[in-house]
Amino acid sequence: MSDRFDESSDDALGRRLAGDLPRYAAPARLRVAIVEAATPSASRRPAWLAPLLGAVASTLVLVLLVLPVLPRIVPADPVQRYVRAVVSEHARALMWGARHGEILPTALPWLTQESGIALPKVFAGDERLEFVAAEPVYLERQRGVAIHYRDVDGHMLTYIALPAAAALTIPDPARVQIGRWRPALLRDNGFATLVWKHGDVACFLVSDMVSTDDVERFKEYFALVRATTEPVPAY
Amino acid sequence: MVDLDFQRQALAHLDALYNFAMYLTKRPPDADDLVQETYLRAFRFSHRFQPGTHLRAWLFQILRNTFLTFYRVRERESPVAEDGVPEWDVPMFHHSPDDDGIAMDAHTDLERAMRRLPEEFRTVLLLAEVEGLPLEEVARVMACPVGTVKSRIFRAKERLRGLLRDYETR
Repeated sequence: MSDRFDESSDDALGRRLAGDLPRYAAPARLRVAIVEAATPSASRRPAWLAPLLGAVASTLVLVLLVLPVLPRIVPADPVQRYVRAVVSEHARALMWGARHGEILPTALPWLTQESGIALPKVFAGDERLEFVAAEPVYLERQRGVAIHYRDVDGHMLTYIALPAAAALTIPDPARVQIGRWRPALLRDNGFATLVWKHGDVACFLVSDMVSTDDVERFKEYFALVRATTEPVPAY
Repeated sequence: MVDLDFQRQALAHLDALYNFAMYLTKRPPDADDLVQETYLRAFRFSHRFQPGTHLRAWLFQILRNTFLTFYRVRERESPVAEDGVPEWDVPMFHHSPDDDGIAMDAHTDLERAMRRLPEEFRTVLLLAEVEGLPLEEVARVMACPVGTVKSRIFRAKERLRGLLRDYETR
């Protein structure tokens, strides 16, 4: 093959193109790739896969439909039931924060209207326990109020008041002496909860302070909140 | 489902299509993709192919249209002459294929000169002179009148001749 261009006619150039221009052959893998790509993917699937997937999908839909109507295991003891609901609310606030980060006292009228609990006196925080937020809650089919605090070590505390005192009997074995009060100290899901009654209002103070030292501090916080907060049913 | 007979007939032209794709894209990976896409389209639209017509030309037409759709950088083209061919050699890609190691190497002055031709000139010479398609089929592939094909062949050879002379005098 010569690279010299010694013929200027169109025909000669055409012959030279046909004869001398290098040709590139397709790699073998390209043929394989084209044939594979042309084969419908459905035919490569096992015959049993489609019915199996269909069955799984149907089962999933049935489970999703039936799940909400299945009976749930709830504690028979009203105190345990309330404590569980209160702990869930505290955990929700821990993860997502308060729904309404309103600051007292400007939000008090709104909070009373929404929660049905009036707070003639409320602990609004000090140098040890910072007030974070107050908001209405709906627990165990009752409206109430939740107040969130944070201590200097970052522990979150949630105070919840519900008009449910009549439904609760504070369990005596769980009672602990804190100053002049004797609330019940209960543990659920890694959280400590102090439960007491304030007139017609059931009160809860929840925290993740469960170690021996932390529980002592938790009791001090309880004393602060208990002495300076006065919840009463608004209606 | 692709008709196996049609698939076999189409794949008989694989080498010719790959060669054409190499001269269009100048890069083996791009040529691979272009040919594969061409065949997938051909199989998908095989019902549109009229038996008895030139399958080879139909495949070249799909390949070139695919190339123009996906690979060509239209906004970087220079102004075109009356027969639709750019006046000067223009880059076909965002990147310069000659700058990287994947670009194909030119083995001869003829190949080097071909690579410098605008796409319309390269295509017309590859189809008419290298693949030996009748002018009517070339016109069909390039979607232009036969007269335009003749004009492009003439101008392409003229340009090619000039480039080859340049190489000779270096």
